[in-house]
Amino acid sequence: MGGFFSSLFSGLFGTREMRILILGLDGAGKTTILYRLQVGEVVTTIPTIGFNVETVTYKNLKFQVWDLGGQTSIRPYWRCYYSNTDAVIYVVDSSDRDRMGISKSELVAMLEEEELKKAILVVFANKQDMEQAMTPTEVANSLGLPALKDRKWQIFKTSATKGTGLDEAMEWLVDSLKSRQ
Amino acid sequence: MFAKLKKKLAEEGAAAPRSGRIPRSMSKESITSVGADSGDDFASDGSSSRDDASSQIQRRNDQIRKLEAKLSDYAEQLRLMQKTKEKLEIALEKYQDSSMRKLQDQNEVFQSNRAKMAEGMALALEKKDQEWMEKLASLEQEKLSLTARLDEMTEQSLTLFQKRDDLDELEGFQQQELAKVKHMLLKREEQLSHREKELRLRGEELNTARLTLSQTQDKLYELGEEHEEMCRSNSQLQTQRDELLSERAEAERRVVDLERREQELQQLIQQVSQDFQKAQSNANAHEKAMEHLQSEHNKLKLQHEQHKNKVAVTEEERERLLADLQEKAASLERRLEANYSQDEHLQDLLKEKSALEQRLEEARGQLLETRTNHTTAVSSLEAQISRQKASITDLQTLVKHKDDSSRAYKERTDEQISELEQRLADCAEKMKSLQQQLEDSETHTEKLQVEWSEERERLQQQVSTQRQRGLEKTARLEEELLALQRERETEVNKHQDNLRLLEEEKASLLKSKAEIDSTVERLTAELDQCRADLSSRQTVSVEIAKALEETRKQREELQQQVSKMTESLEKAEQEVCRLSQDLGAKEEELNALKEELKAARSSLSSLQAECESRRSEAEEREREHTSQLTSLQQEVLTQTQQLSSYQSQVSDLEGEVLRLTAQSHADECDGELNGTVTASDLDQLQMVNKDLEQQLAEKNKTIKQLQQRLAELKRTLQKELKLKPDPDSEMRERLQERSADKMLSETQMPTTAPTLAPGLPQTPGLPPITSNTTVTNSSDLTDTREINFEYLKHVVLKFMSSREAEAFQLIRAVSVLLHFTKDEEDMLKQTLEYKMSWFGSKPTPKGIIRRSISGTSSLS
Repeated sequence: MGGFFSSLFSGLFGTREMRILILGLDGAGKTTILYRLQVGEVVTTIPTIGFNVETVTYKNLKFQVWDLGGQTSIRPYWRCYYSNTDAVIYVVDSSDRDRMGISKSELVAMLEEEELKKAILVVFANKQDMEQAMTPTEVANSLGLPALKDRKWQIFKTSATKGTGLDEAMEWLVDSLKSRQ
Repeated sequence: MFAKLKKKLAEEGAAAPRSGRIPRSMSKESITSVGADSGDDFASDGSSSRDDASSQIQRRNDQIRKLEAKLSDYAEQLRLMQKTKEKLEIALEKYQDSSMRKLQDQNEVFQSNRAKMAEGMALALEKKDQEWMEKLASLEQEKLSLTARLDEMTEQSLTLFQKRDDLDELEGFQQQELAKVKHMLLKREEQLSHREKELRLRGEELNTARLTLSQTQDKLYELGEEHEEMCRSNSQLQTQRDELLSERAEAERRVVDLERREQELQQLIQQVSQDFQKAQSNANAHEKAMEHLQSEHNKLKLQHEQHKNKVAVTEEERERLLADLQEKAASLERRLEANYSQDEHLQDLLKEKSALEQRLEEARGQLLETRTNHTTAVSSLEAQISRQKASITDLQTLVKHKDDSSRAYKERTDEQISELEQRLADCAEKMKSLQQQLEDSETHTEKLQVEWSEERERLQQQVSTQRQRGLEKTARLEEELLALQRERETEVNKHQDNLRLLEEEKASLLKSKAEIDSTVERLTAELDQCRADLSSRQTVSVEIAKALEETRKQREELQQQVSKMTESLEKAEQEVCRLSQDLGAKEEELNALKEELKAARSSLSSLQAECESRRSEAEEREREHTSQLTSLQQEVLTQTQQLSSYQSQVSDLEGEVLRLTAQSHADECDGELNGTVTASDLDQLQMVNKDLEQQLAEKNKTIKQLQQRLAELKRTLQKELKLKPDPDSEMRERLQERSADKMLSETQMPTTAPTLAPGLPQTPGLPPITSNTTVTNSSDLTDTREINFEYLKHVVLKFMSSREAEAFQLIRAVSVLLHFTKDEEDMLKQTLEYKMSWFGSKPTPKGIIRRSISGTSSLS
C-alpha cells in the first residue's frame, strides 16, 4: 500500500526515483562512495557480500542507489539487477594497476547487456589520494572508454575517503539524467 | 579480504553445522556418510527384497563400494600430489629468490667499484691538463693584446699633445677677440645710457606739458560746469515762462468763455426786449381797443343821453299833453258839471273825457312801451357797457397784470441785466484783473525774459567770453599743445630720429653684436667644440691616461701575474713534474688497478659464468619444476582421464543400472511383485549416483578454484621475479601470465553455468586443464560456498525486509539464486505487483508447478 502511495505521489509530482547501480571490482570503494553520497561521512566498511541499497536525494532528484558486492564469486549476480537501470557508476581502484584488465573485461561484459543499453555510464577513478594512482585519462584508456560508441559516459577522478570529485560527478550525472528526460 | 570474510562468517555462523575449517574430513564424512546411509538403506531394502535381486544389488553395491573406495583413493592421491606440488613450488621459489639475490648483489658491488676507480682517475688527469693548457693560452693572448694596446696608447698620447698646443693658441686668439668685442660693447652701452638720459629728460618735459594740459582741461571743465548751471537756470526760467504762458492761455480761454456768456446774455436781453416790445405792442393794441371801446362807450353814453333827452322831451310833452288833457279833462269835467244838465254835453264831454283818458292810457302804454324799450335798450346798453366795463376792467386788469408782469419782467430783466451787467462788470473786472495779471505776468515774463535774456546775454557773453577765453585758452593750449606736440613730435621725431639712429646704431650694433655674437657663437661653438674636443680629448686622454694607468696597472698586474704565473708556472711545472711523477705512480697504480681489474674481470667472468651456471641451474630447476608441473598436470590429466574413465564407468554403470532397471522393469512386467521394490532400489541408486555426481561437480569447482589460486600464486611469483627478471624468464612468465589470464577468463565465464544449474551433471568435455589443479587450500571451496550462501542469505533477507519497489528489483536475483523457473519468477512478480497496486485480482498460484515441485522434493 505504501508503495502504491509512494508511486502515486511520485507519479503526481513527476519525480520518478532514478535507479543507479554502483559496480566495480571488490575493494574499489563502492560502499564507501554510496554512504559518502548518502550521509556524507566515511564509514568503516566490510566486504559487501550481497548489496546495499539506499535512497539518495541530490538536487531534488531521488536516486535509488544499489551498491552491489564486487567479489569474484558474486559478480555474476550483477546481471540480476540490470533491469530498469538509469545510470551505472563504475568504480575503479586507480592504484590497482594489476587488476585493471579484469576491471575492463567486467565493464565490457556489463556494457554488452541489452538491459543497460540506455544507461548512462559514470566511471569513478577512485582512490586518487593514493600515491601510485593512475590519472583519469590513463584509467579511461586502460578501460577502453574512448572506444565506446552509443554510450553517454564520463570519467571523474574521485577520492571517497577525502570526498573529492563526488560532487562534480553527481552534478554531471544529474544534468545528463535531466537532459535525457 | 577472504580472511575478513571468513572471520565474519565464523563469528556469525558459529552454529552452522559445517565449520569449513576441516574440509577434507567433512568431504570424507559426507562421502562415508552417504555411503553408510546408502548401505543402511540398501540393507533395509535388501531384507525386504527378493534374494536374486538382493544378491544382484549387493553385487552392484559392492562394485559401487569398490568404486567409491577407488575414488576416495584417487582423491587421496590427488591431494598428495597437490601437497607435493605445493612443497616443490615453495622450494623452487625459495631457491630462485636466494640465487637471484646473491647474483645481483655480487654484480652490483663489482660494477660499482670498477666504474668508480676508472672514472675517477681519468677525469682527474684530463681536467688538470685542460686547465693548464687553457691558462697558458689565455695568458699569451692577453700579453699580445696588451702590447698592441700600449702601442696605440703612445700614438694617441702624441696626437693629444699636438691637439693641446693647437687648443692653447686658439684660446689666446679667442680671448683677444673677446676683449675687443667687450670694449665695443661697453662703448655702445655708454652711448645707450646717454640716449636714455636724454629720453628721460624729454619724458619729464612731456609730463610737465601734460600737467599744464590737464590744468587747462580742469579749467575748461569748470567753465563747462558754469555753462551747465546757466543752462539749468535758463531752463528753469523757460519752465516758469511756460507756466505763465499756460496761465495766460487759461485766462484768455476764460475771457472767451465770459464773452460767449455775455453774448448769450445779450441775446437773452434782446429776446426779453423783443418780448417786452411785443407785450407793449399788445398793450398799445389793448389801449387802442380800450380807447375805441371808451369812444364807443361815450357814443353809447351820448346816445343814452339823447335817448334820455328824447325820453324826457317825450315825457314832458306827454306830461304837458297829460297836463293839457287833464286841463281839457278838468275844463271838460267843469263843462261836464256845467253841461250836465247839460249831461249830454257832460256825457259827450265824459265820452270825450273817457276817449281822451283812453287816448291818455294808450299814450301811456305807448310811453310805457317806449319806456320799456328804452329801458331794455338802456339795460342792454348798460349790459353792453357793463360788459364793456368788465372787459375794460379785465383788459385793465390784464393790462395791469401785463404791466405787473412786464414790470416784474422788466424788474427781473433789469435785475438780470443788472446782475449780468454786474457779472459782466465783474468779468470785465476779472478780465481786467486777469489782463492786468496777464499783463503783470507778461510784464513779469517780459521782465524775466528781459532779465533772462539779459542774464542769458550776460551769461552768453560770459560763456562766450569764457568760451572765447577757454577757446583762447584752448587755442592757446592747443597751440601750446600743438607747439608741445610739435615740440614733442619734433622731439619724438628727434627722438625717433635719435631712436632710429640709435636703433640703426643699435641695429648696427646688434648686427655687429650679432656678428660678434655669431663670431662669439662661432668662437664659442668652436670653443665648445674645441672644449668638447678638448674635454673629449681630455676625457679620451684621461681615459687613455686611465687606460694607460690601467694598462700600466694591468701591465704591472700582468707582470705581477706573469711573475706569479711564471712562479705558478714554475710551481706548476714543479707540480707537473710532481704530478708526472705522481702520474707515473698513478700509472703504476693504474696498471696495478688494471691488473686488478683484469683480475676482477676474470673474477667477474668467473662470477658471470657462475651466474650463468646458476641461471642455467635455476632454469634447469625451473624446467624441472615446470616439467614437474607438467608431469603433475599430466598426472592430473591422467587422473582426470581416470576420472573421466571412472565417470564413463559410472555412466556405464548407470547404463547397466538402467539396463538392470529395464530388466527389473521387464521383470516387473513379467512378475508384478518385483516392480515396486526394484523401482525404489533404482531410485535409491539414482540418488546415490546424483550424490556422487554432485560431489564430482563440487570437486570440479574446487579444482577450478585451485586453478585460480594457482594463477594468483603464479602472478605473485611473477611480481617477485619481476624485480630481477631474465628476458627469457620474463617472456615465459608473460606467457604464463597470459595463459593464467586466459584460464581466469575461462574460469570466470563458466562460473555462472554451474551456479545456474548445479544439479545437472558436468559435461565431461569441459575442462581437463582445470581439473588438473589439485586441492591445496580447501578453505577456498568453503569460502566460495559460504560466500554464495551468505549472498543468498543477504539477498533473501533484503528481499523480505525491503519495500516493494526494491523487492521488485530483487525478484530476479532471488530467482537466480534459488534457481526459480520462469513461471515461478513471473508468479512472484505478479504477487508483488498485486501487493503494490490497489486494483487487480490476486494472481492464482500455478498449482501444477507447485505440486510437481513438491512431488520431486518429497521424492528426494
